[in-house]
Order: sequence, then structure tokens, then C-alpha cells
Amino acid sequence: MKINCPLVLKVLTSFIREESHKAGFEHNIIGLSGGLDSTVCAYLAVKAMGSKHLFGLIMPFKNYDQEGVSLAEEVGQLLEIKVEKIDISPQIESYFSSHPVDNPVLRGNKIARERMSILYDYSARLEAMILGTSNKTELLIGYGTIHGDLACGINPMGDLYKTQVQELGRYLNVPQKILSRKPTAGLWPGQTDEDEIGLSYEELDRILFSLVDERLTVEEVIKAGYEEKKVRRVAELIRKSEYKRKMPPIAKLSERTVGHDFLYPYDWGK
Amino acid sequence: MKLALAQISPVLGRVDRNLEMHLELAERAAKEKAGLIIFPELSLTGYSLKDLVPEVAIRPEASEVLAKLQVASRQIDLIFGLVEERSDNPGVFYNSAAYLTGGKIAHVHRKVFLPTSGMFEEGRFFASGHDFRAFPLKSSQAGLLICRDFMHYSSSYCLLADGAGLMIIISAAPGRGTANEESQGFESSQKWELMGQAISYFSGAYVIYCNRVGIEDGATFAGGSFIYTPDGQLSLRLPYLEENFSLQEIDLDQIRRARKNRPYKRDDRPEVIWHSLGRLLRKENED
Repeated sequence: MKINCPLVLKVLTSFIREESHKAGFEHNIIGLSGGLDSTVCAYLAVKAMGSKHLFGLIMPFKNYDQEGVSLAEEVGQLLEIKVEKIDISPQIESYFSSHPVDNPVLRGNKIARERMSILYDYSARLEAMILGTSNKTELLIGYGTIHGDLACGINPMGDLYKTQVQELGRYLNVPQKILSRKPTAGLWPGQTDEDEIGLSYEELDRILFSLVDERLTVEEVIKAGYEEKKVRRVAELIRKSEYKRKMPPIAKLSERTVGHDFLYPYDWGK
Repeated sequence: MKLALAQISPVLGRVDRNLEMHLELAERAAKEKAGLIIFPELSLTGYSLKDLVPEVAIRPEASEVLAKLQVASRQIDLIFGLVEERSDNPGVFYNSAAYLTGGKIAHVHRKVFLPTSGMFEEGRFFASGHDFRAFPLKSSQAGLLICRDFMHYSSSYCLLADGAGLMIIISAAPGRGTANEESQGFESSQKWELMGQAISYFSGAYVIYCNRVGIEDGATFAGGSFIYTPDGQLSLRLPYLEENFSLQEIDLDQIRRARKNRPYKRDDRPEVIWHSLGRLLRKENED
């Protein structure tokens, strides 16, 4: 699972540059959380386009992740990019005060979609392409909010597992505080990804790599020494989250239908 | 003979802009006294075409695009990739490579092995060709292959049996695999080089591989075009992932020397291969 960091850096910076330019953008915009994924992605974007071409948005909700907010500010300063902070508490609170709910996942989804909504608004205001920061681990197990943090213009890191993002982060010399921080989606105070998923990223990535990259069957992965319950759970998470990785199905009626047999490349004519 | 390798990034679906690029580079190569310029697979159209295939297809005899390239071929021979629609078989599209010389289309190869698995879906949009055939190029015999054709070593064998001393592969190979920390390129590039070295050495033939670069729909084309001599020596390798235009002198007498020293070609027994394949195919048809 090791990666050749100089090569990955070269491919991903070319990707950000080419795909942004092809879509007609000179600038990128990113939501900064102070976590590893958005930090590494911001480093990549600055290497690809230069610090004048990246805009960072920090969107705290109440005091859920104060450490994250200050780290995000620090990343903005280190990279010398323009950063704006927008407190999203008023609109979220206003909604939940009239439509209360206890389920923290529902609250988290609403927060993620509010951030997405602001990113898209700023994307249009600043004429900047939104960089997605979902990694391969999250995409495969569906650990993300559909039309929330999963929404973006392009995603440079979606083929890197979380542990590979960590490796790339070390190579890029991102601040140690960010590298050693427990990954969190910031859905509630003190939340960590690994507690919520019930597996360490190390173990999760190795199981995913075996199932997805090496195309081993669930039985073969169990035979290789992983706990049966965990492997089956990961396989189930992959299966259940396919809808988050696709455009929604369109009911086919005619001879030629969008999504079925009207098939054009994304980079059409670019 | 001096040849030019154009490791370019075509614009997806824009034949007009790609034609311009071809003509400019051909002119540049001719000025540098090259006798042949080679472009990558589908160099006139870009690779990930899907439903654009019919929209960018060219009927060679009736095409203004081809006519312009034919005019250029009075100055320098050209090999490039196109979506070909045969006039005698309309509505059927091939992933083709054309060789132009002296103002004429001298040879067309239609890709035989269309990758249709994983990230590839060529079989959905293209018809496959039916032949591997050598043709005269300058004072030598050459054979054309397109990308995946070369990964099936039987293709190179057919060209060798037909007398090819130049195996020319045009390619749009995306890079995959970043685990090798020693390489500046993708792991998949090494497989092409492995095949290039083996085929050149055991055929006593030049293997000339022109791959593209650039990114289409997230896939990065690996570049790393190369030339192996008939002795299996790497004589040129272009950078991975970056656009490049390079000239290289090749010595056609090296084919003769290699085959004199290692008479694999002389000792080849195509009739035995034919016999064995015939038996296998008859058996398969019985099942």
C-alpha cells in the first residue's frame, strides 16, 4: 500500500491544474477543517496553481471543533492563501429549533450540506472550482454526506486511502499537529472517525485494499487472518453505499437516455 | 533514418485543433530533416470518446482532414491515430492507425484487440480489425500496432513472420500503480518497456512506442514513449507524464546485423505455428 510520493504529487498537481483549466477555472476553492484531508488537498492545490489561486473557507458550527478551526487558520497562514471564516451556527440552529432532532447523524448531514451550499455559492462568486477532499477509504465505505462533503467539482484524492493521505501529508511536511490529530468528521464534540466506524484506519485500509485493489473475496480476506466480523462489516458498508458514488438511476423510456446510453466524456471538447 | 516522436496530449473530440497540432509538428520534424513522425493512438481525436466516436469519424478517401495530412506527407512520412469509418461499410468505426507517405495513404491498421474490461470500454464503441500485416516503409518493412495489440505478443509475432523490422506501436496507455518508489513513472509503464525489450531482442526488430500524455476524465496517460534497438537496447525513452517532441536517428542496418547474429527470424517455423493453431481451433470448434 506504499505510494511513490513524488510521482503521486506530480500526477495530482497536473490533475488539479488540467481539470480546472479545462473547465475554465483559474482558481480553486476548498473547505478547510483543520483535518488532514483538506490540509493535504490545500497543499496540493497551492503546488498546482500557486497560493494566489486557492481560496480557503472555514465554516465552524458552534464550538464543535475549535482546535480544527485554529489549525485551519494556521494552514491558511502557512500556505499564504486567502481565507474567510463563516460561522454557520445561526442558520443550522434556526432550522433545528423549529425542526428538532436528536439523531447526531442527521444534524451532521445538515451541517455538511450547509457547508456545501456555501462552497457552491462562493464557487460562483469567485469563479473558483471546488476541490473535493474525500479519500478512497471514505468513498468506499460511504463515510460522507451525499450532496454534502461528497459534493465537489473535482476530487484529487479519491484514489488514495486514508493511510496513504497520511503518507503524502508527511512527504508534504504538513504540520505535525495535523498529522498526529485523531481524524474527525466534526459531527459532534469529541467525535472521532475510528470510534464511529469501529475500526482503525490501518486495519480498515488493509481490508479495503484486499477487497478492492487485490479483488480478493470476503472469504479469502478472512483466511488471510482478518477478523470475520470486521471483514463482513466492511464488505457490507461498501455494498450499501454504492448510491453515494453514482448519479441517481434514471427511469429508461426512450431509445437514448441520459445515464444509460447517452454517453459522453466529462472532458468533452476540452 | 531520423524519426520524430510526438508525445502529445490531444484535445478530446476536437479534430480541428488536433489537425493543427499534427501539421505544426510535422512541419517542425521535416525542418529537422526527419523522415517520419509518429503520433499516439487516436491522436486526431483524443481517447475517451464514447458516443463521440461517430461524430469524429473520418472516411479517409473523402476527408479534408486526411487531404491536408496527405499534403504534409509529401515532406515527411506520418503515422497517426484516427477514428476510421470505411466508405464501403458505413456506420462501422475502427480505432485505426494510418501511414501516409508521398501524398498517399500507404497503409491502415485497424486495432484488433479492443480492451473492454475495467476502465476500458473500446468494444462498446469500435469494431475490431482482422489483420496484422507488414508494409514497406523507407528501405525496410514495418508493422503497425495500436496499444493493447502490443500486449498480445502474438501480434508482434505475425508482423515478424511477415518480415517487419520496425514494429511501431501507437498508444494511449493510462498510467496505473504508484507503489514503486524507484520509478519516476507509473508501474504500468514498466510492463510496456518489458514487452518492448523482449520483442525487440527476440525479433531483431526496432520497437518504436509512441504513447500520449495528458488527462481525460481523471485518467492520466503515462507518456514514456521509447525505442528499443534490434539488440534489445533502450535507445530513447521520453519523460513520463510530460509532453515531448524528440528526434532520434535509427540505423536500419542494425536489423540485418541483429538477425545475422541471432537467427531467430531465419529459424522461425510459421508453418508449425499455423499447424498447431489450426489443430487448436478445430478442437475448439468441436466443443
